[in-house]
Amino acid sequence: MKGRKYPLYFAFPALAVFLLFFITPTVIGFYYSFTDWNINADTISFNGLDNYRALFQEPRLLTAFKNTLIFAAAVTVFQNVLGLGLALILNEALKAKNFLRMIFFMPYVISPIVIGYIFRAIYHPSNGIINHVLNSVGLGFMAQDWLNNPKFALFSIIMTDLWRVTGFSMVVYLAGLQFISKDLIESSSIDGAHYWQRFRFIVFPLLAASLTVNVLLAMINSMKIFEMVMVLTDGGPGYTTEVFFTYIRNMFSTGQFGYATAVNLMLFVLVTLIGVPVLMGLKKREMEY
Amino acid sequence: MRKMKTVSMLLVVSLALLGLAGCGGNNNNSNAANNGNTASTDANATNTKNTKDTKAKDPVTLSFVIPNTVDTAPFTQLFGEFEKQTGNKVELQALPGGEFDNMMKTRFSTGDFPDLFLMQPGTKQYVKLRADEMLREWSGDVDVWARIIPSMKDAQTLDGKIYGVPYGATGMYGVFYNKDVFTKAGVEPPKNYADLIEIAKKIKATGVTPFYEGVKDGWPAQIFYLTGWVSNVDPAIGDEGVAKLQTNELKMNNIPELKNLFTKQKELIDLGLYQDNVLAGTFDEMQTMLGEGKAAMVFNLDGIIPQLEKKFGKEFVNDKLGFFPFPSDTDQGVAVVTPPNQLMIPTQAKHADAAVELVKFMLTKEMTDMYYAAAPGIPIFEDAKVDLVPVQQTVKDLIEAGKSKINIQNRLTPVFADFQKLLQIFFIDGDVDKAYKDFAANYEKDGKSKLLEGFK
Repeated sequence: MKGRKYPLYFAFPALAVFLLFFITPTVIGFYYSFTDWNINADTISFNGLDNYRALFQEPRLLTAFKNTLIFAAAVTVFQNVLGLGLALILNEALKAKNFLRMIFFMPYVISPIVIGYIFRAIYHPSNGIINHVLNSVGLGFMAQDWLNNPKFALFSIIMTDLWRVTGFSMVVYLAGLQFISKDLIESSSIDGAHYWQRFRFIVFPLLAASLTVNVLLAMINSMKIFEMVMVLTDGGPGYTTEVFFTYIRNMFSTGQFGYATAVNLMLFVLVTLIGVPVLMGLKKREMEY
Repeated sequence: MRKMKTVSMLLVVSLALLGLAGCGGNNNNSNAANNGNTASTDANATNTKNTKDTKAKDPVTLSFVIPNTVDTAPFTQLFGEFEKQTGNKVELQALPGGEFDNMMKTRFSTGDFPDLFLMQPGTKQYVKLRADEMLREWSGDVDVWARIIPSMKDAQTLDGKIYGVPYGATGMYGVFYNKDVFTKAGVEPPKNYADLIEIAKKIKATGVTPFYEGVKDGWPAQIFYLTGWVSNVDPAIGDEGVAKLQTNELKMNNIPELKNLFTKQKELIDLGLYQDNVLAGTFDEMQTMLGEGKAAMVFNLDGIIPQLEKKFGKEFVNDKLGFFPFPSDTDQGVAVVTPPNQLMIPTQAKHADAAVELVKFMLTKEMTDMYYAAAPGIPIFEDAKVDLVPVQQTVKDLIEAGKSKINIQNRLTPVFADFQKLLQIFFIDGDVDKAYKDFAANYEKDGKSKLLEGFK
């Protein structure tokens, strides 16, 4: 058995499921994006690039595109920075570290919809805890209508999602930290390296694999954000927090299936165009350990 | 190695077989269920013919789809009685009201037919749902129409055919107000629009918010325009104008009176007559503010009445709640009314016969009285026993005086698409021209997406 590989046909069941439930709908979706598929039409006919032409002329989609990118960039960066920071702290010999690890990870296992409803209450301009606290410590001038002021709505969604997902990144980084040999850290300390130098030249490079996983997952998941926006603002006020998936949902709900499929396909292309180079770049800097 | 391979293969094969067995099992079960259902449907058909009090031998569970904007409590009571009498259960499925049409159409196109469903009013729904192919026809059921007001039957008839049985009460839109707040401010319901503004200013001077608007929830904000339409736009364009809007011969952006409604709402915003944090306003808080006397008036619909009753009791609804129509520039205006929703049965419904039995059961006097006891409203049955609350009586009087008009949305096939979002933006930027232009563009876009004549 040693040194031998499993036969290829072992992968067939998984491939069949993947083919049936992912590849096939994607290919069919690709076809439908070039049709006028509409709930009110009796027939579906090929309409060339009409859907794509229409979507590039739609200002709402531009807003959704911009918001999705802002959201993805902010969440990817801060989820990783905060997750790594927490992992480094909770990797130290703290008394309550297991308890704290659980606390920080817990939001990730709660449904985003439930979290959305909780934060709707927290952000409420009159009865929400944030404005209450700000008012009670004399910072009432900072109190805002967090979800309904167009200047703060997207920011509030980003903060809520960060609260939810940071714990996940923390766990991945913690797992990575466990694989770094203590000998390396100790010998660098003996050589006189201080904390920042140890982190920059030893810990961070050896966390490359964790970084790849975290950045990629954060980026892909945040580009597919839907539930949190849906519950907190439903893309509003107006279209100020509209993201790709709230727009796609809206198009599907109005019965414009062909057009909605075209938008969905565009999101798929966008995620691939951003995701693949990022993956390749991060993989390059991963080092064998 | 060979042993290992054999064991692995056996495991894979047995897992696959288990999966297949699982599917096979399900098929058998569903076949069994289908057989059972067919038998019970037959039994129900016989039941209907014989006696209503005899329980079905093999009771079935009927699926009843309803928009989540409709109060399900009265229906639940009726279905409880139906189960007692026939043994048949009714499972309520509530779908989002805003997307109800399209969700039903999607279910129809995938063959996922409910046994019956409650559709929005109007014969325009027949066109949407391709009623002649898909829905049961009711015009020949004399017993069904025996107690329904003839004008309601006429409203359901298209080319001599009827595919929906109206059920419920005539709805009403307008301005609901707290009588105590009005008394304290020393004001009366307005005689015209200018008077309404003066009243609001006086109320504001007493420290109470004159108007509460549910901008965050979106839909309540539209009611200002729907109520304003009948008093301000209808008199200007007439029924002929509405017919032209239906075919896109008249453009929304060619109606100055409609633009004037945006200007009017802008005036309310600029005068500070809405609550603080108006963008965070919700329907739920609207009820609380009105009930507690912290807000004086709300533009809303009759759905607010049971909600206020739940929160503040019957006494509040009977003694403290008032209603008046959206005033025009010259007079008190007219009330908006909506026909009741309609019950529809797909011809391919699994338990179509039992569903017909349920509809007929719901139409019995005992059941309609029970319905109106749970959800009082302006009745559509000639001999219905109903205790109207005063605000409903006000609207009934207006109807009888000819001072009511059907909601414009029930008269047009294209909808005011994305109106909620548009109004949220309007409350932020206050740009009348932009809001009016976008409103007209969205209306045309919806007509186009529905492939309607004149819009394509």
